[in-house]
Amino acid sequence: MASADSNPMSQGTTISQTDEEPIIICRDMNKWFGEFHVLRDINVSVAPQEVVVIIGPSGSGKSTLIRCINRLEEHQEGQILVDGMELGHDVRNIAAIRREIGMVFQQFNLFPHLTAMQNITLAPIRVRHRPRAEVEDDAMQLLERVGIPEQAHKYPGQLSGGQQQRVAIARALAMEPKIMLFDEPTSALDPEMIKEVLDVMKELALSGMTMLVVTHEMGFAREVADRVLFMDEGRIVEQGEPEHFFERAQHPRTKLFLSQIL
Amino acid sequence: MAGRQRPRRLDRNIAYFDEPPERRPPITEVGPVAWVRANLFGSALDTALTLLGALFLIGIISLLLTWSIGTANWYSITFNLRLFLVGRVEAFMDPRISILFLFIAVLAGVNFAAWSRIHLRLWAILAAVLLALFIIPWLIAGAIPPPLTWLAAGQREVTSGSITARPVERVAFIAGADEEIVFRLVTPADDAQLARLNSFSDGMANTLRNAAANRLASEQRLETVRQELAGDRLTERQRAAREAELENTAVPPPVHTSYEVGAHPLSLTLRSGDTDAEIVNGTIAPGEELRLTLPQEGWYVLEKRVPDNDDSIALLSASGLYPVFDRSFIREGERVFQYMRATDRLLVEGGRPRDAGGADLPMLGIIDHQYRGERPLADFLSLMLGPFLDQLNLGLALFTAVMAAAYFASRWLERRDSDQEVPLRRLRRSAVWLWLVTIPLAFLLIIGVSSGPFLTLSDPQLWGGLLLTLVLTVVALVVAFPIGILLALGRRSTLPVVSAASTLYIEVFRGVPLITLLFMSMLLVQFVLPSLSGPDNAPYRVMVALILFSAAYLAEDVRGGLQSLPTGQVEAARALGLPGWRITLHITLPQALRAVIPALVGQFISLFKDTSLVTIVGLIDLTGVANLIASQTEFQGLRRETYIFIAIIYFIFSSVMSNVSRRIEASGSGAARA
Ligand SMILES: Nc1ncnc2c1ncn2[C@@H]1O[C@H](COP(=O)(O)OP(=O)(O)O)[C@@H](O)[C@H]1O
Ligand SMILES: [Mg+2]
Repeated sequence: MASADSNPMSQGTTISQTDEEPIIICRDMNKWFGEFHVLRDINVSVAPQEVVVIIGPSGSGKSTLIRCINRLEEHQEGQILVDGMELGHDVRNIAAIRREIGMVFQQFNLFPHLTAMQNITLAPIRVRHRPRAEVEDDAMQLLERVGIPEQAHKYPGQLSGGQQQRVAIARALAMEPKIMLFDEPTSALDPEMIKEVLDVMKELALSGMTMLVVTHEMGFAREVADRVLFMDEGRIVEQGEPEHFFERAQHPRTKLFLSQIL
Repeated sequence: MAGRQRPRRLDRNIAYFDEPPERRPPITEVGPVAWVRANLFGSALDTALTLLGALFLIGIISLLLTWSIGTANWYSITFNLRLFLVGRVEAFMDPRISILFLFIAVLAGVNFAAWSRIHLRLWAILAAVLLALFIIPWLIAGAIPPPLTWLAAGQREVTSGSITARPVERVAFIAGADEEIVFRLVTPADDAQLARLNSFSDGMANTLRNAAANRLASEQRLETVRQELAGDRLTERQRAAREAELENTAVPPPVHTSYEVGAHPLSLTLRSGDTDAEIVNGTIAPGEELRLTLPQEGWYVLEKRVPDNDDSIALLSASGLYPVFDRSFIREGERVFQYMRATDRLLVEGGRPRDAGGADLPMLGIIDHQYRGERPLADFLSLMLGPFLDQLNLGLALFTAVMAAAYFASRWLERRDSDQEVPLRRLRRSAVWLWLVTIPLAFLLIIGVSSGPFLTLSDPQLWGGLLLTLVLTVVALVVAFPIGILLALGRRSTLPVVSAASTLYIEVFRGVPLITLLFMSMLLVQFVLPSLSGPDNAPYRVMVALILFSAAYLAEDVRGGLQSLPTGQVEAARALGLPGWRITLHITLPQALRAVIPALVGQFISLFKDTSLVTIVGLIDLTGVANLIASQTEFQGLRRETYIFIAIIYFIFSSVMSNVSRRIEASGSGAARA
């Protein structure tokens, strides 16, 4: 992975919009599903190596927001820039941007007909056209990093939920993305497996990865996030550093939400 | 766990108990007893249905068995087995088809090793069954003598109903070297015995038999009428009719006395059929027997002569003298005549014996010398079952042996490098490759490459029987499969033209009956593909129809598989940056195909059965052969036997296929479960 120590920002730094050029910018972004206005006037920017946690009630548009960033959903108004490239209808841009972004899903979405190893190596071989042997070596290292090298040749159906999600993380990392999106990565897991996944994510954050994480794990947000975003009804209602955010939230809806889940 | 007894202790909140000992469930609750109780006799209604069903089954099976053993003419199967299997393909195809047969055995063995296990117990059962296929015919041949043949000799005509017969003096037959024929003269005690001459018999003996049976029947009828008249359960009208019947029916005198049927001295001469040279000349008197040993294989002529002024009819039983099938066909431009003994398929080629005037001598042909009357079990075994198994056992044993060899060899190879990261991966890959090799190889062997001596082109018009059925099924499926996949993808395409065209194709071909397509293809394909015109290309034209037809159905199967995939799969692939066609190739198609394996096998099975429709456009597939046989003189109108036989073949193939599909599913074939 990109060198962890070259940048001191990974933890403990303050809110994003510093002097550094943001790696993700959403400007006045709006999205509708048919008539339904899901995302309204979204303005966010994320600095490189920043860890942003997005929280909010179910149906508030958190998933849709991060899915817009790698174009799994199309936005209809406003601008999204990733690493300086604008997400529009230009297919080459979309492909280039997807190469920069890894995504981890709530339901893991591993390919059930491929082994863990094959899941990880598929995209580097087929998209980046790297030699198989080299990719397999890297994949093995990734599996070690997420703590399950011995499961390399098992099929997803033979792994526990936590193991599957860790393979999914390794699969996304194998494309050497600059940004990682997590959509409730632990929500489908049994309680005793949540920690193993969170630990991997913490390690990733420490290493300097730019991360957008939708989660209900407030402990994780407190400990790892540089910034917490609260969304409701398609809007970003409030954001701030975690200490600030959890102790001194301003907006009544944020307070209500926090009081319900804490 | 039994040793760890915890002390009984009552805390404030926790109570410990001694571990109860493990016990087996009561015998009535597990195993076959419980199964029978739960499933067959669960309630009064269940019990009633079980008994009713059992009665019904027993009834059907016993009817079928009685018919199969006593009456059915299974010669229509045994004599035509080749026709059933390969149709009329040229003789040079035999080694090629054998190679293909054994190659398929290898394929089966490797695939079983790759995708499932065959338990040692199953191998043992297979071996036992095969062994039985060899032993049973051998036992039957050793223990049960083939039935006697009835012959009559004399100069007098015998009439039974409208049939009048006169004994033939000379009759030709075929036999093997060193075989013994034993003749005995017999005197039937009464007409009842005459009527029970159940076996092969010549025309004269048969007429006697019928005459005796008819006489007994009318005697029986008159007896019934007399009893009815003696009773008081008849109306006036009925009484009058019965009396008239009694008046007008004349029961002929007993057959055996009026024709003096019995043991009368007889001179028997055996001549060689080829040279007409006398081999044995002897007389046989009542109470004696005459044994003849035949010098070589070939035609013989038997002359049976009674003294000139004798007016009686001699009845003769012969062992070792059996009816003959004859057939002729063109081989390398010349007409060949073949004669085959019904009981053991002894084959003699060439012309048959003629008399001095050059006319064919009468022979013991199967048409006139059918087995007459009910067959006892012993005759069924020695005439039908034994020879039939004897025809099958070698092929089946070879197939199984080669399959077993391939199975154990690939398992051994697999185990030798058991340090592979993924167990079975290499073997499975080889198994798939073997399939990819087998299919073109099969077509190479069946079609041929050129008119030269190596892999000579075979005439598609001569393909028939099971071979044609399988060729049509496999070709249709192999070619239709990729087309079906493209159509399925096309139908889901976002391009309206592509999806509309695919949908139109699928709906049109699913909306037209196969039989209509077959007729259309016979007439229309040649406009598009002129090289497929002419009668000898009929199989290819039919293939076109089957391909177009199956492609539409396969497309719908595959589409179902594609639709069943969770959307997350495509999203994950897109998020990884895979382009659309790679997502289809690596993610959606492989999973969709795995998901629809059962549907695909179902399609394969129904296509396999649907090929029987090609009979209607004149191809002689398995069903066509069954029809054809019913029109042969020897087997005129024998449809039941042949249809039962092909039904069994269709059933065996279909059930093997669905069993294989179940095994593929069970093996997970790369874990298609999440
Ligand atoms: N593909 C879609 N079509 C129509 N409505 C959608 C679709 N996806 C999500 N929605 C709706 O958009 C809203 C936001 O969804 P989502 O972003 O998944 O919320 P969250 O992740 O915060 O729970 C929800 O009301 C949901 O029903
Ligand atoms: Mg969501």
